[in-house]
Amino acid sequence: MGHNNVGNSLQRRARCWSIYRRRYNNWSEQVSSGIRPSSHQQQDGDPATNGTHMSTRVRYTPYAIPPCHWRGNFQKQDQVQANMEGEQKPPERKMEGERQDETSGSWFKIIIPFGIKYEETWLLNLIQGQCSVPFTPVEFHYEKMQAQFFVEHASIAFALKSVNGKIWDENNERVSVFVYPSDAPHSVQKELMSEKVEQTKVKSAGELDKSKSLQPEEMSANRSSLCTAFPDKSTNISSILELFPKLLCLDSQESPSPTSIGIAAHKKLPTCKGSFFGSDALKSLILQFLLQYYLIDDSGDRQGLLSAYHDEACFSLTTPFNPKDPALSSLCEYFKESRNLKKLKDPSLRVQLLKHTKCDIVRSLCVLPKTQHDLSFFVVDMWFQTEMMICFSVNGVFKEVEGMSQDSVRTFTRTFIATPVSNYSLCIMNDDLFVRDASPKETQSTFSIPVPARSCSSWPTLCQKQQEVVQTFSTQSGMNLQWLQK
Amino acid sequence: MGDQPIWEQIRSSLIQHYYQLFDNDRTQLDTMSIDASCLTWEGQQFQGKAAIAGKLSSLPFQKIQQSLMAQDHQPTPDSCIISMVVGQLTVDEDPIMRFHQMFLLKNINDAWACTSAVFRLALHDFG
Repeated sequence: MGHNNVGNSLQRRARCWSIYRRRYNNWSEQVSSGIRPSSHQQQDGDPATNGTHMSTRVRYTPYAIPPCHWRGNFQKQDQVQANMEGEQKPPERKMEGERQDETSGSWFKIIIPFGIKYEETWLLNLIQGQCSVPFTPVEFHYEKMQAQFFVEHASIAFALKSVNGKIWDENNERVSVFVYPSDAPHSVQKELMSEKVEQTKVKSAGELDKSKSLQPEEMSANRSSLCTAFPDKSTNISSILELFPKLLCLDSQESPSPTSIGIAAHKKLPTCKGSFFGSDALKSLILQFLLQYYLIDDSGDRQGLLSAYHDEACFSLTTPFNPKDPALSSLCEYFKESRNLKKLKDPSLRVQLLKHTKCDIVRSLCVLPKTQHDLSFFVVDMWFQTEMMICFSVNGVFKEVEGMSQDSVRTFTRTFIATPVSNYSLCIMNDDLFVRDASPKETQSTFSIPVPARSCSSWPTLCQKQQEVVQTFSTQSGMNLQWLQK
Repeated sequence: MGDQPIWEQIRSSLIQHYYQLFDNDRTQLDTMSIDASCLTWEGQQFQGKAAIAGKLSSLPFQKIQQSLMAQDHQPTPDSCIISMVVGQLTVDEDPIMRFHQMFLLKNINDAWACTSAVFRLALHDFG
């Protein structure tokens, strides 16, 4: 290697390091001073930012606390009440000291861009007409050009997300519907707070307040803490973990024996070991992030992921595609973006395939096949944490839901480095995705054949409860989750 | 070799070095970690050189052979490199298994060390 090569290498290295520093400095400046995102972001047509009042604290993300100021229709208490009472609450699912309705607790904001043009009842009827499940809108209001409302339950949010692209107004213009995870609406939070105060007063007086139709067990303090406090409450984790039953099961396993790998005597493959989170707080944060991320990733419109990424995030994808191996040919859609540095020697291609900026990243993600991820079988490793960031990997499976490889099942490993930007949201700095074909066994086990629920000898009640939760979720979402039933 | 930036060369030689040591003499792997290093191995976390060395030395096989199928890496905001590896391994006479591993490489006082790593066998046990 001559001097020129060394010089060039050092120059490139200097450029690379300056990119790293700029990325890092940009991020820390934005967070500390609450700078509004650049116009560059708006040009991408991120619907969440168009016409929305921007928080003066941190930059707007769909995961963040909704704007503090609005005008419009606040739902009355009876609306909230009707919402609560409409839930299914089989008594046997109640756990001591916990919320009775385990499928509630996750709020989502629904945004209809240019919804100001439409009358409330007309618009809601239009959406309900295409929505596979009934929903109860909370705090419907207009904000600048948008119509907005809240719904509770991830399954309803999923169903509303599917309405996007399927409804038109009387002028034959498409009405868009976007779904974003959110805190509980203010009226709900206020209701809970006053409930708490009331209950405290009533209990100290030694009698129940019969005039309140909302039972204290149904609306425990944990519901508001689910939405506003740092996610280290056990009930917060419970509501998220409903959608990750295998994580719950695996996480409660005892530590595996160190002799688990390659036991020659049995010639048996080892079994998959449980997730590692490090702490309950991180577990809640990560799972909440994953739920939000894959809600949008599977929605058919990945533009919503723009707000999940830092402006100068990095993303790359690798797949073991081999053009000569017909078995792997169905991965060709991924191969176009694949950056397997073992095979890829062209330095300019190496640079090109490392997507660097949120716009490039989302552009790349949008061309990948549409997917349906199996959240219930995610295995997560939280592998390090600093003051500024956490790094974790997700292993799991997904199915392609359209195109030439429709119904093909893939396995993936995805590593994120992310910085917390609020109590329960993360901003992705690095995203590394590996995709390969699922083996016949893996395919069989997930999306096609019913699999007996894993026995959890230390949590027998919970496993049965999981099945009930899954059944409810399946009914509400319309998703075929038969394979999770016995 | 191609016209690689120096940090890419460092990264790929570090990874290669790791797997050579792993396959031939795991006891020497502690030269690549530091006291602040952390390893998450199949869902269990080990902190510090001694714990990591203990875990790797105690893995219950005589022979291991690993081959890499895919690699990728990215720069991180704090000037580290995150490196992803997918490969296949076989231990003793057992069937081939896939694995994936991630490394976080950091430059400390002009020397590169692995400050964090995760290892997972590519198993999806849905039974």
